[in-house]
Amino acid sequence: MSTHDPLVIAGREFGSRLLTGTGKFDTFETMRDALTVSGSEIVTVAVRRIDFDARDEDITTFLPEHMLLLPNTSGCATADEAVRSARLARAGGLPDWVKLEVIPDPRYLLPDPVETLRAAATLVEDGFTVLPYVSPDPVLQKKLEEVGCATVMPLAAPIGSGRGLKLRDAIRIMVEQAEVPLVVDAGLGSPSHAAEAMEMGADAVLVNSAIAGAEDPVAMARAFGLAVEAGRMAFHAGVIEEREQAAASSPLAGALHQP
Amino acid sequence: MSASISLNGRDQPVEHGETVAGLLERLGFGRGYALVERNGEPVERARYAEVRLEDGDRLVVARPVAGG
Repeated sequence: MSTHDPLVIAGREFGSRLLTGTGKFDTFETMRDALTVSGSEIVTVAVRRIDFDARDEDITTFLPEHMLLLPNTSGCATADEAVRSARLARAGGLPDWVKLEVIPDPRYLLPDPVETLRAAATLVEDGFTVLPYVSPDPVLQKKLEEVGCATVMPLAAPIGSGRGLKLRDAIRIMVEQAEVPLVVDAGLGSPSHAAEAMEMGADAVLVNSAIAGAEDPVAMARAFGLAVEAGRMAFHAGVIEEREQAAASSPLAGALHQP
Repeated sequence: MSASISLNGRDQPVEHGETVAGLLERLGFGRGYALVERNGEPVERARYAEVRLEDGDRLVVARPVAGG
């Protein structure tokens, strides 16, 4: 197998298939160290009003320069709010890439498919590279591809739940029919979940809480990086079919006790 | 004569002819990312030094923060 297997989004190559969120780390130093060992080349940030009374540190000074900053539209409950947030970020000098999330529901934090599609169409038209966050819905996936999204990013399980691939069958259909990279985003709790998504053929995964919330976030970031690589390699290597019955891996003939 | 604008929902006095860049500098946000919306429209970073604030302007200033 060729070792050159980059993730290609909107014509741009990335060496790592692990995208990482920057939220919830105890300190920016820990975040920086975790991102660095994860190998990630794409990291998400949120956009919020400055509190001029607080002297908070600037997160961007802790983010290694080679990493692509991917502003998200978290906190937006409608398409109009998301478009506004993305335009503000781009005008202010952040990349014209956007992790589009439109989440009206504060309890389950599930994305609104109708508003997401509407915002995606507007932002693509406006020149953005759009990476929408969605529930696993193969029909919505096709519509997002049709309006020109650069990826589609289905959630594995609700944000921050760490439950893994709860909607495996829908994601499997999305993998099969994907025409732009499929990024499993949200709900992955452990490296084995990430590896499983990659073995299924996901093009990448996006992880935040499972790294930031680990006892040792830096070690966990490295573990996720390795799991994503392992899962990708296994996908290319071809995982064996499951069987109902046992199949011996040692020869049945010639055992020592036989007459 | 000084003027007053709304900055992230609070009254903020500004100097006559003060630019977006000038205000950000004065508030200690001259470096790094400050994302600016003036009267509902995003302001291009390249124009911060030329856009002059006027009495009654509504300014929203945001920046990247930790998020997933």
